[in-house]
Amino acid sequence: MISPAAVARRAAPVLACIGLLAAWQVASLGLKNDSFPTALEAIRAVPDILGDKESLINILASLRRMAIGFGIAVLVSIPLGLLMGRSRAVASFFNPLLMVIYPVPKAALMPIIMLWLGVGEATKILVIFLGVSLPVIYHSFEGAKAVEEKMLWSGAAMGLSALQRLVRIVLPAALPEILTGCRTGLVLALITMITSEMIARQSGAGNILFNALDMGQYDTVYAMIIVVGAMGICLDAVFERVRAGLVRWSEPQFDMPLSFS
Amino acid sequence: MMSRSANAILGLAPIVLVVALWQALVTFGFAPAVLLPAPGFVFTRLLEQLVTWAFQQEVAATLIRLFAGFAIAVVLGVSIGIAAAASPAINAVVRPIVRVLAPLPKVALYPALLLLLGFGHGSKITLVAADALFPILLSTYYGASTVEQKLIWSAMAAGTPRYKILFKVVLPAAMPSILTGCRIGLVISCIVVFLAEMITSTDGLGHALVTAARTFQAVDMFVPLITISLLGLILNALLGAVRSYLLRGFPEA
Amino acid sequence: MKVVPSRSSDWVRPVTSQKPASAIIEIDRVSQVFQTSARNDHLALSDISLTIEEGAFVSILGPSGCGKSTLLYIVGGFVSPTSGAAKMKGQAITGPGPDRGPVFQEFALFPWKTVLGNVMYGPRQQGVSATEADAQSRALIEMVGLKGYENFYPKELSGGMKQRVALARTLAYHPEVLLMDEPFGALDAHTRTRLQNDLLNIWERDRKTVLFVTHSVDEAVFLSDKVVMMSKSPGRIREVIDIDLPRPRRRNELLLDPRYQKYVVDIERMFDESDHAGSLL
Repeated sequence: MISPAAVARRAAPVLACIGLLAAWQVASLGLKNDSFPTALEAIRAVPDILGDKESLINILASLRRMAIGFGIAVLVSIPLGLLMGRSRAVASFFNPLLMVIYPVPKAALMPIIMLWLGVGEATKILVIFLGVSLPVIYHSFEGAKAVEEKMLWSGAAMGLSALQRLVRIVLPAALPEILTGCRTGLVLALITMITSEMIARQSGAGNILFNALDMGQYDTVYAMIIVVGAMGICLDAVFERVRAGLVRWSEPQFDMPLSFS
Repeated sequence: MMSRSANAILGLAPIVLVVALWQALVTFGFAPAVLLPAPGFVFTRLLEQLVTWAFQQEVAATLIRLFAGFAIAVVLGVSIGIAAAASPAINAVVRPIVRVLAPLPKVALYPALLLLLGFGHGSKITLVAADALFPILLSTYYGASTVEQKLIWSAMAAGTPRYKILFKVVLPAAMPSILTGCRIGLVISCIVVFLAEMITSTDGLGHALVTAARTFQAVDMFVPLITISLLGLILNALLGAVRSYLLRGFPEA
Repeated sequence: MKVVPSRSSDWVRPVTSQKPASAIIEIDRVSQVFQTSARNDHLALSDISLTIEEGAFVSILGPSGCGKSTLLYIVGGFVSPTSGAAKMKGQAITGPGPDRGPVFQEFALFPWKTVLGNVMYGPRQQGVSATEADAQSRALIEMVGLKGYENFYPKELSGGMKQRVALARTLAYHPEVLLMDEPFGALDAHTRTRLQNDLLNIWERDRKTVLFVTHSVDEAVFLSDKVVMMSKSPGRIREVIDIDLPRPRRRNELLLDPRYQKYVVDIERMFDESDHAGSLL
């Protein structure tokens, strides 16, 4: 049986969505502005976008690139972060470089990378990779750094090699922190993807948004905002499910998601 | 145990390496200078630009948007975060809304902001504020809701009325978290203002990059990008200094 | 009512032990239930009644989980009891107040304030002028043995020093009752005995009422006029023992005193007889 409190907790975000859409509806009815359609009009336009084969293929292609960029970033960043967390030398080697890269707007590299690699898949995936890497490295680093020294001593006493200790002790112990980084990284992958599409104006969700804006199809603009917003919220919610399942043993995480672009 | 200077040299190595590789690519002709200008050339170009009035105008436009957006985010984030931690009723409303809005890619709202607020400062400042708001709000909330109960009890026993507890205890006790959120928010502000200007603008550093990209001026693409990154580093360092002053009593600060 | 002393040394009141003892705190059939999960309740305190006389040093002694700290928090007004009531000088306790000053095991010093800033906090909240509060606080800091550390931050002090600051911070607003929640529990044995001695010396000067929570039998017997023994699950008062040992007490004399030894041994035996001996510490 689910307690009423749990029901309220599950229903709250849904209610919040409805509330936000209602606020939008009221605001647009009040403003009576041509460039601000009501929430209902925007929602009605959503099936048109998703029904249009070309834009659907476009969006799916974007998501595929996003998944690849995110996947590569995670595969590279987690081992690097863990190594940095366990080795002072590795940490002091990479930390200043990462600190310098930190404030660089990654999506802004799009035009420069386009200049070198053209407008192909590689460019778009590379930009997403860059956008995702830092938070994943940072959180893996923090997670590995916080691993109890004595746990590693016990491991060494049991005859585990350095690599085995990294994989079998540090990785699981740092997993909650790593997954927090991945969660931030996932939202960032989406943001980087859309932003770079807005800048490059070649294809994808970001491009659809600005094409519609240029052509004055305001319903489509707002419908696309709903689609992208829903993607962000769903990706985050799904990942949170996975995360909670993987690290059931760890202390319950602070449950407001921390994410940023 | 390594000395600090050894650490610093080790840390500088990859940065030097990147620049050296960059220089080598140009010198040995692997990359044509049109696509990848030599680092020295980019650097002198940056210094040249920094003293021109036109470039300073771009920097000023970017900074105004950055600071305005960041300031709004700090004021809203800290007050909503503290309020949500202090009042269960506000918490019940804020929490689900934040859960929905935090993972939403704010940049997707930019077209709507352009339609509603125009192509000038308003839309960009709002986007910066929207993006910087959540890390600040969440850290404030986290800090304020994990204030040690006994600090509050100690202050109450000393005769602090309940309404003053928020300012006398909760706010200063949450300060480490708040400032961590502000640091994240500040760097986000730098990034977002630049991207917003790249997407659509008539001035600002981001616009300078796009203009250069349209004319394939590789050097002039690097200059604004490096400028905004340096601004980010400098502002981050300044906030770091403010932070270590404000938190001089806190352990690990 | 708060009498603000005119001179900084006035907080040391003359010893008034000749005055007939009157009840300052009355705990009347207090029970405390905590909800541990949706279906389970935990009875932390069951039907506690206790009267504490003015000027008495009373220890509450018991195993961890017997609710002794909760009882102290109820007197402090930080927690309201599920049933029953606590009174201070005949007035029902409804919340914290400067007449009851807590000292916590965790010190709970304000990390953003210096030693002086922490000690001055109470007087400033009471409306004492800055110069007055400054002078009083400096005198108190000297009394707890931390002269020269006024401008240090808590993070720069050892645990024992932090607890001295916490004591000074509480004494600074002249509470009538000191509520000490295992104040020396986080300190090493050596620091602990030094602070016990110093606490007794300070207490001898004005004999404030002290309610002292501890799980150490030695500590309770050494410090107190009265030891309230509690048992757990549910938390009840098991026995109240008057400690009839001369004051002022000197640790080196007392440890050799057969009467002291008998109190300690008797109390330990009583705990052993109940089933919770193992969890006493």
